Amino acid sequence: MRTFFYTLGQGIRNLWRNKGYTLASIATIAACLFLFGLFYSVIYNIQHIVDNAQQDVSVTVFFKQGTTEDDIKKIQIAVKERPEVADVKYVSADEAWAEFSRENLGEYAEGFDENPLADSANLEIYLSDVSKQPELVSYLQGLDEVREVNYSEVAASTVSGANSLIGYASIAIIVILLVVAIFLISNTVATGIRNHEDEIRIMKYIGASDFFVRGPYVFEGLIIGLLGSVLPLAAIYELYKRAIVFIDTRFQILTQLLSFVSVHEIFKNLTPVLLFLGAGIGFLGSMLSVRKNLHV
Amino acid sequence: MARKTKSIYAGPQDEKIVISMRDVSKTYSKEAPAVSHANLEVREGEFVFVTGETGSGKSTLMKMLIRELKPSSGEVYVLGYDLNRIRHGKIPQFRRNIGVVFQDFRLLRDRNVFDNVAFAQHIIQVPGRRDIQKNVLFALDLVGLNDKYRRRTNELSGGEQQRVAIARAIVNKPYLLIADEPTGNLDADTAWDVMQCFDRINREFGTTILIVTHDRGIVSRMGRRVIEMKKGEIISDTGSDADFSGGYDGYAEENYQDVDADYNDVYAGGDPYQYDEEDDGY
Repeated sequence: MRTFFYTLGQGIRNLWRNKGYTLASIATIAACLFLFGLFYSVIYNIQHIVDNAQQDVSVTVFFKQGTTEDDIKKIQIAVKERPEVADVKYVSADEAWAEFSRENLGEYAEGFDENPLADSANLEIYLSDVSKQPELVSYLQGLDEVREVNYSEVAASTVSGANSLIGYASIAIIVILLVVAIFLISNTVATGIRNHEDEIRIMKYIGASDFFVRGPYVFEGLIIGLLGSVLPLAAIYELYKRAIVFIDTRFQILTQLLSFVSVHEIFKNLTPVLLFLGAGIGFLGSMLSVRKNLHV
Repeated sequence: MARKTKSIYAGPQDEKIVISMRDVSKTYSKEAPAVSHANLEVREGEFVFVTGETGSGKSTLMKMLIRELKPSSGEVYVLGYDLNRIRHGKIPQFRRNIGVVFQDFRLLRDRNVFDNVAFAQHIIQVPGRRDIQKNVLFALDLVGLNDKYRRRTNELSGGEQQRVAIARAIVNKPYLLIADEPTGNLDADTAWDVMQCFDRINREFGTTILIVTHDRGIVSRMGRRVIEMKKGEIISDTGSDADFSGGYDGYAEENYQDVDADYNDVYAGGDPYQYDEEDDGY
C-alpha cells in the first residue's frame, strides 16, 4: 500500500516536473479524441436520420379478388417471420378507402355509398434492412394470392446506399484518426523516453524491480490519458448543444425534415468510449516507452 | 547479525569470494574481443583498482560484473549469483547488494541532495519515512555532506556531487561497491578526497570495493591491489593488498557488527540485508 502511494506520488511528481511534456501529451490525446468524438456525433446523427428514413420505406401488397381476410392474415404471419422485415400492418378495404377519401376527396367522399376499393385490403411491410427489398419483392410476387406489389426502388436503393456509405466513411475516418493518433503519440512517447532515460537507468542500477520502474509511468500515462479524454468530452458537449440550437434557429427547414439526436443520447455512449480510449492510449504509450528501457 | 548464513554468500569455492571470473571473454559484433580470457577473484573486504588505457576493456569488465552485459563465454559469479544463468526477474534482487558510482555522477538534477540519496531507499522499498531519513543522513555523514542535504545538486561542486553519488550507492548498505572512473571528471585534489571516501567506507565497514580508473597517480598513492588491463587482457595483478592480508579474517565481520548495531535501531528488528523472496514478484 505504501509502495502504491509512493508510486502514485512519483507519477504525479513526474507529471509536474515535465509540465511541457505533460501538456503536449494531453493536448495530443485530447485533439485526437476530440476529432473522434466529433465524427462520432456526426455519424451517429446521420445514422439516426437514415434509420428514420428507412422506417418510411415500405412495400405494399394487394391481393387478387376473392382472397379472404384469413388468407391475408396467414400471409401476414409468414411475411413477418422473414428476417429483413421489421413490421407488417394489415389494412382492410374500409380503412384503405377511409384514408384515400380523407387524403384525396375530403367532403366529396359523401357521394359514395359503397366502398369503391372493395378489393384493396393490403399489407404494409416495413423493412429492417432496406437493402434486402428486392428479395422480399420477388418472394411476394411469387405468392398465388398476390395481385400487385407496390414499392419504390429508388427510395430503397438511396437509403441502403447512404447506409453503406456511412459504414465505409466511418471506417475510413476511424482508420485515419488511429494512424494520426499513433503517430503523434509515438512522438510524444519518444520525448518521454528521453526525459526519463537517465532516471530509469539509475533505478535499474540500484535494483528497482520492473514493476517499480513501470509504476509511476503507468500512473502518469493513465492520468494523461484520462485528462486527454475529459477535455474533448467537455468541449464536444458544449459544442454539440450550441450546434443543435444554432441549426434549430437558423435552418428551420432542415429540422422539419430531420431530427437530431439529443446531447444526452450521444454522451450515453461517447463518455465511456472516450474515457476508455484515453486511458488505453495513455497506458499503452507509457508501457511502450518504459519497456524499451527496462533491459539495462 | 548473521551475515554468513545469507544464501548469496554461498560462493563458487569459498564463501568469502565476492567476485569470481573464469576465462571470461566479451566480443561485440565483428570486433576484436573487448575482454578476452579474463580470470579474476576478489575476496570480501578487498579494495581493488582495475586500470588500463581507454579501450583496454576495463569498462566492459565492470559492466559484466553488474550484469549490464552478459559475457560471450566464461563464467561470472558475483556474491554467489551465477550471472550467466540469473533470470531477468532476479537481477534487481542481485543489484540491491551492489552500489554503483559513475564518472558523470548521474544525479537527478530536479531533486535536492537528500532526495537523491533517499531515492535509492525508496527503490528498495524501505518502509517508514523516519528510517529513510536516518539512513540517508547517516550515509551523507559518511561522505561529509550532512550539512548540505537541502542543496540542489547543481549548486554543488563536482567533488561534492560525486560524494552525493557515493552516499546514494552506500545508503542501502551494499556488500560490494563498484565505481567506473569516479574521479575522471575531477581535479587532482578533489579526486584524492573522493578516493579517501572510498577508503573510509572500505576500512570502516569492510565493504568490498572495485574501482575502474586510468588515473595511475591515485592508484599508486593508495597502495591497494591493482589489476592492469591491456587490449582486453589482464596483464598484471598485484594480488590482495598488504593492509588486509593476514589479519583479514574477522575484520570485516566485526566492523559490520558494529554498524549492524546502529542499523538495528534504524531497522527495528528487520535485517537490512535480507531481501525476501516476495521481491521477486516485481
